[in-house]
Amino acid sequence: MEQPLFRHNKPGRCVTFDEYRNEGGFQALAKGLKDFSPDQVQQAVIDSGMRGRGGAGFPTGRKWSFVPRNAPGPRWLICNCDEMEPGTYKDRVLLEANPYSLLEGMVLASYAIGVRHAFIFIRRGYEQAAVNLRRGIAECRQAGFLGENILGSGFSCDIDVHVSAGRYICGEETALINALEGRRANPRVKPPFPAIKGLWGGPTVVNNVESLANVPSIIENGPTWFNGLARTPEGAGMKLFCISGHVARTGCFELPLGMPLDEIIDNTCGGMRPGSRFKACLPGGASTPYFSAEHLPIQMDFDPVARAGSRLGTAGIVVFDQDTCMVAATLNLIRFFARESCGWCTPCREGLPYVLHLLEDIETGKGSEEYIAILREHIKLLNLSFCALAPGAMGPVEGLLNHFMDELREHIVKQKCPFGKGL
Amino acid sequence: MIKLVIDGKTVEVAEGVTVLEAAGSVGIPIPHFCWHPALGKAGACRLCAVKMLDGPIKGVQMSCMLECQNGMVVSTTDPDALAMRRQVIEWLMINHPHDCPVCDEGGECLLQDFTIAGGHGLRRYTGKKRTYHNQYLGTQIQHEMNRCIQCYRCVRFYQEYAGGKDFGAMGSAGRVYYGRAEDGQLESPFSGNLVDICPTGVFTDKTARFRARYWDYDISPSICPHCSLGCNTLPAARYRELLKVMARRNDTINGWFICDRGRFSKASVNDQDRPRDPLVNGRRVGWDEAVDQLAARIKEIGKLYGRETLAIVGSSRLSMEAASLLHVLQGATGAGSLCYFVSEEEAVRTAAAISHLNEGTSASMADVQAAGLIAIVDCDLLQDGPMMALAVRQAWRKGARIFLVEEAAEEPQNLPFAWESVPSLADIPLQGAKRKVLVCGTGERAAGLVSQALANGAKLACLLDGPNSFGTALLAGDHESTPFARAVAEGKVKGLIAVETDIPPELLEGIPFIAALDWRNTDTVRAAHFVLPTTAWLEMDGTYINNEGRAQRFKKVMNAGLPIAGMNPATLHPPRQHIATAPGGDVRPAWKVVSDIVKRLGTKGAEPLSGKWERLREMDAEGNGLMVFPRVNDSGNDKEKGNGLQ
Repeated sequence: MEQPLFRHNKPGRCVTFDEYRNEGGFQALAKGLKDFSPDQVQQAVIDSGMRGRGGAGFPTGRKWSFVPRNAPGPRWLICNCDEMEPGTYKDRVLLEANPYSLLEGMVLASYAIGVRHAFIFIRRGYEQAAVNLRRGIAECRQAGFLGENILGSGFSCDIDVHVSAGRYICGEETALINALEGRRANPRVKPPFPAIKGLWGGPTVVNNVESLANVPSIIENGPTWFNGLARTPEGAGMKLFCISGHVARTGCFELPLGMPLDEIIDNTCGGMRPGSRFKACLPGGASTPYFSAEHLPIQMDFDPVARAGSRLGTAGIVVFDQDTCMVAATLNLIRFFARESCGWCTPCREGLPYVLHLLEDIETGKGSEEYIAILREHIKLLNLSFCALAPGAMGPVEGLLNHFMDELREHIVKQKCPFGKGL
Repeated sequence: MIKLVIDGKTVEVAEGVTVLEAAGSVGIPIPHFCWHPALGKAGACRLCAVKMLDGPIKGVQMSCMLECQNGMVVSTTDPDALAMRRQVIEWLMINHPHDCPVCDEGGECLLQDFTIAGGHGLRRYTGKKRTYHNQYLGTQIQHEMNRCIQCYRCVRFYQEYAGGKDFGAMGSAGRVYYGRAEDGQLESPFSGNLVDICPTGVFTDKTARFRARYWDYDISPSICPHCSLGCNTLPAARYRELLKVMARRNDTINGWFICDRGRFSKASVNDQDRPRDPLVNGRRVGWDEAVDQLAARIKEIGKLYGRETLAIVGSSRLSMEAASLLHVLQGATGAGSLCYFVSEEEAVRTAAAISHLNEGTSASMADVQAAGLIAIVDCDLLQDGPMMALAVRQAWRKGARIFLVEEAAEEPQNLPFAWESVPSLADIPLQGAKRKVLVCGTGERAAGLVSQALANGAKLACLLDGPNSFGTALLAGDHESTPFARAVAEGKVKGLIAVETDIPPELLEGIPFIAALDWRNTDTVRAAHFVLPTTAWLEMDGTYINNEGRAQRFKKVMNAGLPIAGMNPATLHPPRQHIATAPGGDVRPAWKVVSDIVKRLGTKGAEPLSGKWERLREMDAEGNGLMVFPRVNDSGNDKEKGNGLQ
């Protein structure tokens, strides 16, 4: 199995600069800057069909193409490493093992978009990743892969690491831009989209770590190769899946997009924990509606997961077994989202604590039938919030109502948690 | 133009107008909290939901965020939109305290209105309300964070619109907090607008706390008398006391806001020791007796020293009604000196300043806000006209270049915008710049630059001294007048009738006869042999002409009289005898007193605003006033141009 990202990984430590280079690293950079025009780099990424790895799944190359070619003034590339989606830790695993793929990808992306200065926006908790990136940036500068006139191509570009105070909302690209500018991390009005008016008013591309880190392999091996890595015809590339919960072996694995959920659990993770049976999972991080056992054959790619009523998101799969109270699980997630709301718009700021309160009451046996109707109203009306945080937060609640209504009702009818969990 | 349909009405609007504004333009109100005409859209409160039935965008949308497009069909009453609005109100009311009975905002609270309108009546949420610590924000503004609905209006006004730095949003999620880093007086000279702009009772006027409800107010459109800009205000009074002053929207002048000086300067009106009764040599007398004795005394002075030794003195705080009668009083008394200014210097520079102003050169504050280049010379904006500083800031926010013409060694001013300091007007790239305005004082340095700026196509925004400086200077030009100081210096003043004028004590020395008409306890009043108490601007209808030459009408807000607050209940309240006027209420507008004196002297009575001022009589207090410029008036032939409604 091809592993464009993890192929450099060394057990228990970060790959060194020399190792990365000797294993073929920076070949793509040399090739891209020498043989490709910026437009050709962009076209290769468009042709590869890669969809953004940060959660929304927007095609990376197309996002680049929205930057106006002739816009005056500086333009910016930001790598979004504010990874805070519960159940998702792929960027950390990647950067702790290998910061160079990202840096190489960022120089290529900067070349394609015409960026002279790129930023890595990294959350406070990712200290080791930031250390690796800073060291990697120094090494790349030393070797001429960063800075003035890279590899004699005439293209110059530099990268800075910004360690942010970090909030979940900083993963939203316009809130991230605000935070990077030193403002409160509230999302901005869209349009204008960042590609037109972003950081300090300039055209800006914000890409996830994994998206950018995949760019070198696309340039090196070609878009067709990348496209063929996925198991679904419409999918493209390998994907970092983070699997946690009640499986035998948890971890972050680089697997082809489109691998069925049961195959991931059974083969990659060695099945469920002893004594555990699969009950449900979050297929793509905390903001996606649950999958239940009926969804096990689903191919884990953007479109099949969406057709099944959920989202691939960040591909952070959290597996729950038969002893899990789905109300308690949902409550736990909503508590996170209510806390992480930026506080800008009413539905998110006030609606999520309301949902939290309803679920707390239900879980502690104080719920009533009316609560279900209120939860349904919230699923609908939280879609009218300012950004995607609140609709995403309601994903698990929607999954709860769609797949585990009996369990929810049991809480209300028995006036207690049937799993004896309580709070 | 863009054509769309809102609730079955066809609406035509310009490009860039939001659905919320378009609906408002045809009288369809859409509830909203965070959107504000002066602050624009935020998209935070999500209350203004409408349903897009047809057109390029479908479904429930926030009308404040949506620019009108051709073919849109909008419903503001669709059940889906109403469901959202009701839910937003429920969300906001989860934590809003039910303290309306003890909240000063009660009765004038947007949240009350929209809660009623929104249809959320029964509480379904069973959890606790969140609570906050309130801050001490100084002597003027009360902070009550529990009432906050997090619409972000306050911080958007304070930081973005007004450039304040000591107040902002803190925290996140359900703990967003608006306040200062620590307790303390708000530093912005525009902080009082938080009271107006907050849609509920987080910021209330501490100086008027617990005094009255909205429906108790004596309230009328008025004009601020605390500088020459003529900001439109809405003073609210009760029990003969001015309680608070709110900003009254006027897009040409002050927009939606006023400064803190205009809002909180109430002490002089409410002063218990204001002149309340006619006094003759310190003895309380009735009005008839006072006017009789005054007329007799005037004749006596004429016999003793000659009538030409009399001086009639007005000032820039005098309403146009009274000021325009002073020359009639001069005629009736035969006074030798008619003075509209005390100091010669003020008279000269004010006359010079207004001589440059006409419909082409006079800049309103709206012009300043829209300017592309602004040169500021010879004025201390935050002192001479704070709202002008706010107007300059708006231009600066839109990208205007601001220049301060100053000598290098000057102390840095704490202005709410960034500027480039230049030694002379010649260093400013006036040529080629569009929409340029010279904001200036009336001092020597400004006078030297005005014609230069005009030659380069700049408009002028001159900051004058008082609320009616412009009108006073016009009158001074119309009639043969002398600055009072000069008349005194020439030794020809033996009698003085001072009409709402502040005269320094040294100029009063040795004048054997002083009559003072005033509502303030000035040095002149204290030195006067005759005191004739007048009404303050709040207690009468009147007219001021502001710095740009705009005559504006202010209406009577309250009946004059001793404020009940502070009265000694044992002696004064309740009244022990039946009288027609309230205690201390037997005061008269200055124009009326002047007119009475004129009549008593046997001259045909004079009506205020007669002759060429007659066209100011029918002015609408809620309109944009009338432009009055010297050149047009000098011809004595009122052309429509420059005199019509602007």
